[in-house]
Amino acid sequence: MKINQEITFKKAFIGSFGSFISILPMMVAIIALVGIFQTYITSSMISSFFGYGEFTDIFTGTFIGSIAVGHGSIGFIIAQGLKEQGVSLYALSSFTLAWVILGFIQLPAEASVFGVKFTIFRNILAFISTIFIAYCTVLTMRLF
Amino acid sequence: MKNIKFKGVKFLLIVFFLYCLLFIFDNINALNSISKSLSILVTLIPIFIFIILLTALINYFLKPKQILKHFGEDSGKAGIFYSVMGGILSHGPMYAWYGMLNDMREHGLKDSLIVIFLYSRAVKLPLLPLMISIFGVTYSIILNIYIIIFAIIQGLIFDKFKKLY
Repeated sequence: MKINQEITFKKAFIGSFGSFISILPMMVAIIALVGIFQTYITSSMISSFFGYGEFTDIFTGTFIGSIAVGHGSIGFIIAQGLKEQGVSLYALSSFTLAWVILGFIQLPAEASVFGVKFTIFRNILAFISTIFIAYCTVLTMRLF
Repeated sequence: MKNIKFKGVKFLLIVFFLYCLLFIFDNINALNSISKSLSILVTLIPIFIFIILLTALINYFLKPKQILKHFGEDSGKAGIFYSVMGGILSHGPMYAWYGMLNDMREHGLKDSLIVIFLYSRAVKLPLLPLMISIFGVTYSIILNIYIIIFAIIQGLIFDKFKKLY
């Protein structure tokens, strides 16, 4: 029984390793693109896009956060710098949230795994949700 | 190992072409980009190992019937709860989880639960102290509650309109 279970786990491991290998080209491509973005997009470049009103800032924050890539902590550190420069909380909320959850760079990869329609539909929903969450969070904050 | 069908090969070729252009027109930044990519890759290796092991464990312990029970069409509120929790507790970049999710999807994981899982990942527990230090406790609590609510809403919308995609 034990031997049988070991073989089964071995099969499960080989299967899972195979799944990982199959998406390796996609992951290497994303990581290589992230390297390019981190080289060319700086935080001072990002701050120049804000300061044009609440709704524009939310939309811009979501859009830039979706394009920008990197570890979540970098997004928060940039947000801290933007906050010190007087960028609105609407913009900061949408920017940091989009930074950690959205990623235009990942779209081809997501589409190749889950399909184009799924990816488009999911990302439109996620984009709209990010805008709503940023707006609702700041509005709720005003109650406290 | 079964025949492996690689995903994202065209995407990789496009990025490779982009790097070729960069090497021709902006050699220094091309090298910088490669160096940054390599350092990202190194930091991701432990996460990749973790995900491979987790997928193996899921495949070993959760048989297709159980996946259908917990994450299939009739999974109900429990499925939503597990997806939210899974999203919150999962680490690393989103694309690292695509393989595992696709594997589970082939065994019956509902698309709307993938949507909930992926958006719940916006709740970043390891980054919570940093978030609190920048935005404060109240803001962080409110934001994370909204993230969970909207992740579930997205899943429900996905369920309603699944015939469209």
